[in-house]
Amino acid sequence: MKHLNLILLLLATFFFVRCDDNLELEPAQSLTPGPVLANPENTRDLLIAAYDFAGENEVLSGQSQLASELLANVGELTWRGTFVEPDEFDIKQMTAPNFFVQELWEISYEGINQTNVILDNLQVSDESDIIEGEAKFIRGTLYFELARFFALPYEAGSTNSQLGLPIMLEGVVDAGAITFPTRNTLEEVYDQIIRDLNDAYNLLPLSNDIFADRYAAQAVLARAYLQQGNYAAARDAADDVLNNSGHALATTYAEAFNNETDGIEDIFMWQITPQDGENDFNTFWAIRDFGGRSITGDVTVEAPYFDLFTGSDDRSTFFYEGSGTIVTSKWQSQFANVPYLRIAEMHLIRAESNFRLGTAVGLSPEDEINTLRVRSNAVPIAGLTLQDILDERKRELGFEGHALHDAKRLQLSIDGRPYNDDLLVFPIPQRELDANPNLEPNPGYSN
Amino acid sequence: MKNLFWKVLTFFLIPLAFAYGQEKVITGTVSDSDGLVLPGVNIVVEGTTNGTQTDFDGNYSITVSEGEVLVFTYIGLKTSTRVVGDANVINIQMEMDAQALDEVLVVGFGQTSKRRLTDNIASISSEQIREVPVPNLQSTLVGKAAGVQITQVNGKAESGIQVRVRGVSTITGSQEPLYVVDGIPIINNNESVNDSPINPLIGINPDDIESIEILKDASSAAIYGARGTNGVVLITTKKGKQGKTNVSLRSSFGVSQATNKREWLNTEEYVELFTEAGLNSGFSEDELAGIFNIFSENEEDWREGLVDTDWQDLALVEGDVQDIGVSVSGGNEKTRFFISTGYNKTNGIVRGNRVERYSFRANMDHNVSDRFKIGINSAISKTQISRLSDDNAFATPLQAVAQIPFSRPFTDDGVTPNNETLYYNFLFQEFNADHNVNVWRNILNLFGEYQITDNLRFRTEFGYDLNNQVEERFFGSLTEFAATNGNADINSVQNEKYVLNNYFTYDNSFGPVDLNLVGGMSFEQDNRTLQTVEGQDFPSDDLQTIDSAGEIVAGGSSRTFFNFLSYFGRANATILGKYILKGSFRIDGSSRFGEEQRYGVFPAFSGGWIISEENFLKGNTALSNLKLRASWGLTGNAEIGNFDSRTLLGARTYNQNPGLSITQLGDPELGWEETTQTNFGIDLGFLNNRITASVDYYTKITDGILLDVPVPSTSGVQTVVRNSGELENKGLEFVLNTRNFVGDKFNWSTSFNIATNKNEVTALPNDADIIAVENIARVGEPIASFFLVEYAGVNSETGDAQFYRNTLLPDGTRDREKTNNFGEASRVVAGNPFPEIIAGLTNNLNFGGFDASFTLQGQWGASVYNRGGVFQSTNAHSLDNQSRDQLRRWQQPGDITDVPQARLDGGNGNQESTRFLDEADFVRLRNLTLGYTFPSGITEKLKIQRLRLYFTGINLLTFTDYNSWDPEATADFNAGNTLSAGIEFYSAPPAKTFTFGFNLDF
Repeated sequence: MKHLNLILLLLATFFFVRCDDNLELEPAQSLTPGPVLANPENTRDLLIAAYDFAGENEVLSGQSQLASELLANVGELTWRGTFVEPDEFDIKQMTAPNFFVQELWEISYEGINQTNVILDNLQVSDESDIIEGEAKFIRGTLYFELARFFALPYEAGSTNSQLGLPIMLEGVVDAGAITFPTRNTLEEVYDQIIRDLNDAYNLLPLSNDIFADRYAAQAVLARAYLQQGNYAAARDAADDVLNNSGHALATTYAEAFNNETDGIEDIFMWQITPQDGENDFNTFWAIRDFGGRSITGDVTVEAPYFDLFTGSDDRSTFFYEGSGTIVTSKWQSQFANVPYLRIAEMHLIRAESNFRLGTAVGLSPEDEINTLRVRSNAVPIAGLTLQDILDERKRELGFEGHALHDAKRLQLSIDGRPYNDDLLVFPIPQRELDANPNLEPNPGYSN
Repeated sequence: MKNLFWKVLTFFLIPLAFAYGQEKVITGTVSDSDGLVLPGVNIVVEGTTNGTQTDFDGNYSITVSEGEVLVFTYIGLKTSTRVVGDANVINIQMEMDAQALDEVLVVGFGQTSKRRLTDNIASISSEQIREVPVPNLQSTLVGKAAGVQITQVNGKAESGIQVRVRGVSTITGSQEPLYVVDGIPIINNNESVNDSPINPLIGINPDDIESIEILKDASSAAIYGARGTNGVVLITTKKGKQGKTNVSLRSSFGVSQATNKREWLNTEEYVELFTEAGLNSGFSEDELAGIFNIFSENEEDWREGLVDTDWQDLALVEGDVQDIGVSVSGGNEKTRFFISTGYNKTNGIVRGNRVERYSFRANMDHNVSDRFKIGINSAISKTQISRLSDDNAFATPLQAVAQIPFSRPFTDDGVTPNNETLYYNFLFQEFNADHNVNVWRNILNLFGEYQITDNLRFRTEFGYDLNNQVEERFFGSLTEFAATNGNADINSVQNEKYVLNNYFTYDNSFGPVDLNLVGGMSFEQDNRTLQTVEGQDFPSDDLQTIDSAGEIVAGGSSRTFFNFLSYFGRANATILGKYILKGSFRIDGSSRFGEEQRYGVFPAFSGGWIISEENFLKGNTALSNLKLRASWGLTGNAEIGNFDSRTLLGARTYNQNPGLSITQLGDPELGWEETTQTNFGIDLGFLNNRITASVDYYTKITDGILLDVPVPSTSGVQTVVRNSGELENKGLEFVLNTRNFVGDKFNWSTSFNIATNKNEVTALPNDADIIAVENIARVGEPIASFFLVEYAGVNSETGDAQFYRNTLLPDGTRDREKTNNFGEASRVVAGNPFPEIIAGLTNNLNFGGFDASFTLQGQWGASVYNRGGVFQSTNAHSLDNQSRDQLRRWQQPGDITDVPQARLDGGNGNQESTRFLDEADFVRLRNLTLGYTFPSGITEKLKIQRLRLYFTGINLLTFTDYNSWDPEATADFNAGNTLSAGIEFYSAPPAKTFTFGFNLDF
């Protein structure tokens, strides 16, 4: 059999490929959770990513603030853009598939899960307190932002048993741990927010570079207390920030905006660089020449807003011209950081709270308001009223995303709708309702 | 004197020659039973290597000895033999092989004859491909194979092509078939940098293809195991043949335009409608004039209609197609070769779109000895593409239809685009931007085959496939990147695949049993690397490479890979020439799957009974063929991400600090998706097979579907890939081929196919719906059904848009009350994006030197949702120009219409609803070819074997009621997403092409 040798040779080559070894491949761009979670060195890496989730343009770098401004818009603004989602905000006809709404929910919860994973795997080290504080700052802040959009308004002085958010406090790192939660009450959500931010305040250092320090946590607390109508707590939190954080008003109004690094006025900013992050304030509020989407500006400012001003005021001229339109100068720089917590807001919270409580903690309301006015070269007000303070808020904080939350807290009607109208609350995203049968939709949205 | 001597000598020698079997020259003509001459008939002297072929007129001449036997063979005809006797002329009339056209078909790891086939395979020959010049491989198959739907995503020339074999049988995995070229699986990954896919097979020159076989059922596809579910497309490239060296030259040129354009408002109509809409919404005339003035240079432009721009005409332009190719083939007993080169240039019908392809091929095989054969098939191509943005970008030309008609396209210089438009003016892309791709594709395949014994053969094949693509984009200082002084990026991908196949083939006969065995192994390794960099701030628009960027804003590189290790075997037995049994298996292992699920086994069995071989039918010319077939088998789908079974963390930076986040949660149990397919078929032939038909019924049940299962995002991810759910496809396929007229001068044949497919999702995780924007996977419904609020027309009293509530009532019916509050209406299943019936009809006619052929292609039962409708046709809700049908809006109480009252920014019916869903049935004249071949008498004088001139028209006519651009054009950014099927979004219609060309053979 002269071919026998050959057959044997061929059979040998036939199996020369060793079997299983070739099927064991490891990804080049990814790691598995085991080694990462076991290594304390990686905890900071996980935290960095948590900041990134919260600072996404779809979350706190522009999109949610745009929603707030447009939902509260009663003629001070015009939506000229072509995206359907902001248009739905503007005409107060949101639908459950609204993608801006969906992204806010999804990315916020990605960030929340990230903080939960950090907190679950925290190992004691020099840095662990700070990391815990920062993670809780991010978690508390995200729950707060979500609660203001996805639940009916918080009613001061009553038990807020209306539907809130699913409170997730355990990190999910394997597919088997996925749960189908129901929604907690709004009261429970606020309790969690305040617990997280208080913990953060206690754990965080006095300053922390571009990251959250204890006064960033205190500033969000001031905001949250104000939203709850807890003016004493709001006043004291704002007072603490104003007295101890080392931040102060920038010399001019213009200096408070379009900054690529944190300024004196910024308690906390979401960081944007050309390589990293996207400033959606700029996307929607600036004209194309400055990085915006359209030649007119997607959102333009109209006459009724200017009616707020009497006499000269730097803030009434902090605008530029689009194509026959007027747009705000606040978001003119494409790669500027997003100011999230400005010291001016703390002044306004302290002034309003003091006024309502008849106190003068830190500064009298009239002096406090006039401090802001003087910075903008406006005539000081004598005989300050609550309405003056609220108007000052609009003049000072316009287009920064406070409009809807203020309207709800002040129980103002919007376009004939009462402050607690179902359709001024975000729908629970259709995708979430489809994926989680335990999630109850918001009233007023049936499809 | 010398001549005379030879004559005398010959005279004496002739008798001797006869006596001693002396050599002589035999000549003759070979024709078929209808008297038509047959070129290319093989003639060999039995038992020798002495042979020849008939020429173009069917003539041959061969030197033989008396007493020897001449064997005449020709595909599809019965082999004839003649003993050489006295006569010097032997004319042969060859008979049709009445039993079956004994066509040779390529199957996985071997060949088979059609007669012995128990599988369902669609086969397309080079003649069919050659008839019609098409720019890409897949388009050659349109309308030719029953149950195979081929759709180019949209009208961009390089656009991806979707091939669906017997419906869709997965949700998250790929639906594309496996492509195998000359035995080697090839790369079929779209590497586009934007969401508009590039056809990965664009570099393959269709003219190099000898045949294409599509393995449709499990019996044929299961030999490709975990990758057989979506069908397998086997491509065989042309090989040289022993004999005279042939030179073929082809050249064609055509012009093209869009199959359809839509009607949009002109300036006068726009001003009329939007003024009305504005007044209805409480705007004053002054306010409206203010808005109009923003987008017009002068007030008279819109007031007096001085500017009336047809933006659609700027976007859809006249294109052209040029195709040139040369091939040389030939060989001798030992070595055969085929060499070709081709050039194709397509200027697309969408402004700024162009494809140029240069391709080269060299195929060679050589007999080292009687038993040992080696060969190489190699192809290299370069494709240059000038690309466009994907459909979901203002820069994509077709989105220009949204621009306002009184906006000027260009500034006063007539060259610089006008910047003052509602949307970014896409003309800047041509003026101040570039988007170019170079694709280098190299497919190489070496093989050696050794005949160990007369019955046992070993073949080894090594394949190497390299898809190398560099995509460069530059946006100048006038474009959307004005704020950063321009932006450029470059994206470079190298995807390579090594394949090693080793297998034995054993053929033998044991009495009445013919046995064919195949067994072997295959190893495949696929590596992909990518590098990317992006820069901004350019000193000049003339400096477009990233070297000149002031700032590098992004960069990256990545590597990924997967392996397959497989063993396979097949046994085929034919008993008494009429009972056929076949069984096969494949074991596939892949790095893609969880450790516990690493190997899968894919068996298949089939049988056939050629009833016409039984005595009671044998020789019957009325019913000349009758065969029953049945098959069952298991195939898989492994087309998911390379590491989907694991939980992974990936880089996520913040302020340029390194970070890590969870990117996916993995299921370690993840395995292949399994499809069980059963096929019953009957083949029929009548009147000596002048009429042949086959009918097949199949069921395809897929379970353990590879599915991105949506999970609550409260878990930090939105989906997890799992094997979950089940769906089935059932269908009937009917193929009819007739030779209607067979004659000396006139021939007419018809080929018709029609197929039905019924798709149904039968199980999902927790039976919960999976919803992807407008589409749904729901148990009991076809996959990716449309899921929308149902539009209920216009309230004739108020002009409000209305919707059916469709709330599910306790008795299971739906509330059919109408509401004008969109939020009160529930979504319902409203249509199927996939056709239920597809059909093709091809006719070929020959009259003397003239030939004509045409293919009609049709599909029924599919719908398309125009997602752009919420901008295009919403009775002037936003400033976008409107489709002209919006002029029939409601204007006063009592008006009966389907277009609600025009309300600027009024939200009156602009929500996503069935208002924008439309049926997409169509019949299309896919191609029409008229040709003339010059008589050989004329061409031979010019030393030309054959010269044919022709005209071909592609997509000349489309019959459809679909109301947008084209029923086949869909959103390119959804092409990779199974669930988002049948969505249109400013998607360019296909091209209608008129081509003239010639083929020349020496």
